Amino acid sequence: MSVASNKLAASPTLKPHKSADIFSKLVKLSPRFLLALLILPVIGGLISVLLPAFGYAPVLEHTTLGLHGFTMLMQTPGLTHMVMLSVGTGLISTLLAFIITLMILAAFFNSPWLNRIQRLLSPILVIPHAAAAIAVGFLIAPSGMISRLVSPWFSGWELAPNGMFPHDSFGISIILGLTLKELPFLLLMALGVLAQPELGKKLRQQHKVALNLGYCPMTAFFKVILPSLYPLLRLPILAVLAYASASVEMPLILGPNTPPTLAVAIMHWFNDVDLNLRIKASAGALLQLVLSGGLLALWLGGEKTIKALFSDLLTNGEREYGGVYWQKITTVLTVFAISFILLSLIGLIMWSVAGFWRFPAALPEQLTLLHFKSALMQMQSPLFNTLAIGLVTTLFAIIITLLCLESEQLSAKPLSRFTSLIIYVPLLVPSIAFLFGLVWLQQLVNNQAAFFNVVFTHLLFVLPYVFLSLASSYRRLDPRFAHVAASLGATPCKVFLHVKLPQLFAPILIAAALGLAISFGQYLPTLLAGGGRIATITTEAVTLANGASRRTSAVYAIMQMALPLIGFILAWVLPKYFFKSAHR
Amino acid sequence: MLANKFWQTLSRYSLCFVAFCICLVISFKSLASTQLQSRWQHVESLGKDQSVYFYAWGGDAQINAYIQWAAQQVKTNYNINLVHVKLSDTSEAVSRVLAEKSANNNDKGSVDLIWINGANFATMSEHSLLLKQWANKLPNFNYTDPSNNPAVNFDFGIPTNGMEAPWGQASLTFYYDSLAIDGTANNTLPTTLNQLLSWSAQNPGRFSYPKPPDFLGMSFLKYALVMLHQQSDDTLKAQLNQPATTQNTAQVLNPLWNFLNKLHPTLWRDGSHFMQSGAQMRRLVGDTELSIAFTFSAPEVPAAVKRYDLPKSIRSYAMQDGSLSNTHFVAIPYNASHAQSAQLVANFLLSPEAQAHKQKPSVWGDKSVLIQSTLSQEQQALFKTVEPHPSALPLNSIKRTLSEPHPSWVNAIMQGWQARFGVSQ
Repeated sequence: MSVASNKLAASPTLKPHKSADIFSKLVKLSPRFLLALLILPVIGGLISVLLPAFGYAPVLEHTTLGLHGFTMLMQTPGLTHMVMLSVGTGLISTLLAFIITLMILAAFFNSPWLNRIQRLLSPILVIPHAAAAIAVGFLIAPSGMISRLVSPWFSGWELAPNGMFPHDSFGISIILGLTLKELPFLLLMALGVLAQPELGKKLRQQHKVALNLGYCPMTAFFKVILPSLYPLLRLPILAVLAYASASVEMPLILGPNTPPTLAVAIMHWFNDVDLNLRIKASAGALLQLVLSGGLLALWLGGEKTIKALFSDLLTNGEREYGGVYWQKITTVLTVFAISFILLSLIGLIMWSVAGFWRFPAALPEQLTLLHFKSALMQMQSPLFNTLAIGLVTTLFAIIITLLCLESEQLSAKPLSRFTSLIIYVPLLVPSIAFLFGLVWLQQLVNNQAAFFNVVFTHLLFVLPYVFLSLASSYRRLDPRFAHVAASLGATPCKVFLHVKLPQLFAPILIAAALGLAISFGQYLPTLLAGGGRIATITTEAVTLANGASRRTSAVYAIMQMALPLIGFILAWVLPKYFFKSAHR
Repeated sequence: MLANKFWQTLSRYSLCFVAFCICLVISFKSLASTQLQSRWQHVESLGKDQSVYFYAWGGDAQINAYIQWAAQQVKTNYNINLVHVKLSDTSEAVSRVLAEKSANNNDKGSVDLIWINGANFATMSEHSLLLKQWANKLPNFNYTDPSNNPAVNFDFGIPTNGMEAPWGQASLTFYYDSLAIDGTANNTLPTTLNQLLSWSAQNPGRFSYPKPPDFLGMSFLKYALVMLHQQSDDTLKAQLNQPATTQNTAQVLNPLWNFLNKLHPTLWRDGSHFMQSGAQMRRLVGDTELSIAFTFSAPEVPAAVKRYDLPKSIRSYAMQDGSLSNTHFVAIPYNASHAQSAQLVANFLLSPEAQAHKQKPSVWGDKSVLIQSTLSQEQQALFKTVEPHPSALPLNSIKRTLSEPHPSWVNAIMQGWQARFGVSQ
């Protein structure tokens, strides 16, 4: 941090301008600000959950420490079932998404199909979990598209059959939903790693060498690419695992309720009339934390075991493990996953414009825009809230991120490892574990400013993604432009605003679109921090998902998808018209 | 003689006294009414130009639209911003007020008005979380004929003490898919609780009820409980109107558990999974997964058909052995930030125009709480209906109403249910 000020002091010709002075200070402070912004709420939230869990809740007139909350938790009927459901769905869905990602990468590495699959799947990434869950629910329900397509000519069903999906007690629907949602994320993360110029080139060349040595393409991928690729995929995978084991939207929409997953049960306890249940809920939140932590440890342990067991295989020279069959299996699996996704989207769109559509007809009897009309009438204030919260949060996140990255460049040393790790904290700590404590803290500080509380809470989840998305482009920026500008006498502030930002216009827009998409999709943070007063498209969509009308629900899900998509389209189109000259 | 004079004087005095008393009563009465009037003017002057946060269940598009309409009306009448805070469960608002009370927030509460009845009202009134003696002073409250109408003064048997203003009336009615229940042998429309059980056994998987503590699911259980005790002796039957205690709970609820043990294996998903809400149940009828369902707001059925959410083949009817009925209310928490404005809104919701608009099948179709005889000709004309929809409940279907058991039974049923059926085996 002192390098920047030394530089300024050492070059008297620069004559630090007053605004530059403020700017440098701001830049210098920003990493600490970022740290505080991410750590304090999470730690404060965790403490505010920890204390009531051990019986300390002055508001409820409980001040004696004890294990009362845990005793209550243990006596909950079906607790083991809840825990198994949470652990099982989280682990299996992550594992499936990871394995399918690897198989797709291995089978289509260096093939044009990889790009096509990427293009097909990347829009899925911006679909919020709630909307995805609604779409999957439409597909697999007894009266869903799959069942309609085979009825009555094949199945003989005139009425919807007695099915088990969604809401099956084994959580298969949850696993299906989570896998399909996380698969594109992991795939795009991997492709992002491979798109890094130097690493990607190196890996592709190594792959070619392996092919020339007679390795089957899939074997080559697992033996040559994976060992270098995996370490860079680890954090996204852990984030997926932590999220999947503690998420609320998917199990709420697709999961069973006798009993639900632990996270959903905790949410119900927190919202119960009986405030004493909050103690049990806090104990449950701790249990959730232990479970998610345990899963992460299990994953890392499994990683070590696999490494130890299979490291010999890397060098045993075996070229072929039935690659042709695996290739076929992967193709089938990919086609299956993509058609599953497409079919649920088609179903969703049809429901949103359907008139009467009695089972088992495959198409609606008539089409109508009635549902869009009536939903749009009632959507105005949620839509406004969604946009306002998203824009404020994202703007703030981008400013902090840019300042932090600028401080990194001014001080000429990268952010400390600690800071880079902290950025992931809100992604790795299950939100249900610290959000309740955070909300409790927020209520102590200010009870009324629901909008501010929501923005603040969203920031926790938006900031990491915005940072990760901007960091690589910022670090890759050619420093010579800044040097030239500085040698011409431009202040750091001017260099930042007039030289760097225009060059970064496209990445900033992408980061903004990503930040908006993340903010749009937040359910639990909006619900809790807003005290239910702030309705967004997402909270409405989840409320309506198990409600009366598939048609209204479909309209909301489509809106949920459309909003982030519009953001990304803008981020893609605008750079073609503005600051073109800066970006060559 | 003397006695005569005495009587004369006495009668003269007593005449004067009576006259005085009459004067006094009249003046008190007019004083009281002017007091009420000036009270209301006071409320009007304080309540204008503010926001009212109305915490109300938000799971039905039609009801939400009605509240939006009401918001526009109070905006034009009083410049009040009525904000509908949509709840998925009313207990969320109750716990919010309770939390505010325990945090010593006694005058800046976030809830101004709350849609409530039954157990939630019992909880709030027990913890003194509600503003008292305001609802009975609303000008439009007189249209409910309060002195002859216990339905607006008692909420599940608990006196309201002016803590809540009536908003609407509901009865548990049923609807079915006439293509699925086609009247063939073993598939005739069940019109009593026992017929429902045997029909469900013959047509497994086509009926279920929302998982308690859902309001509608609880209502079905209460209907079953009341019906199962129809033949019980009077002392046992009387327990239904008494608070649930550890002594009487088992005896009163055992018939219900026996009934459910027989019913559950025949239900949708074998009774191992229950839907979350009445709205979801309606969707499952639309999906043809269920063939028969029930609702507390009969007009939502034709409205759903008009919106394509239910098939055209849906028909409504009332059970012949009785329909559970109750009134729902709006209440003001004791710590509401805008209590006066909330009273203005509550009064508007009770007005003939608002009640008539609410009763229109195309709007919400919730039965009015106003008594027609208290209304003027023009006001009565507002309630005239048009030709009913084929899926609507035929007029005068409800032959026999069943009153709600004491609200404490809700909790007793819920806990018993949770212990027996809450975790699928």
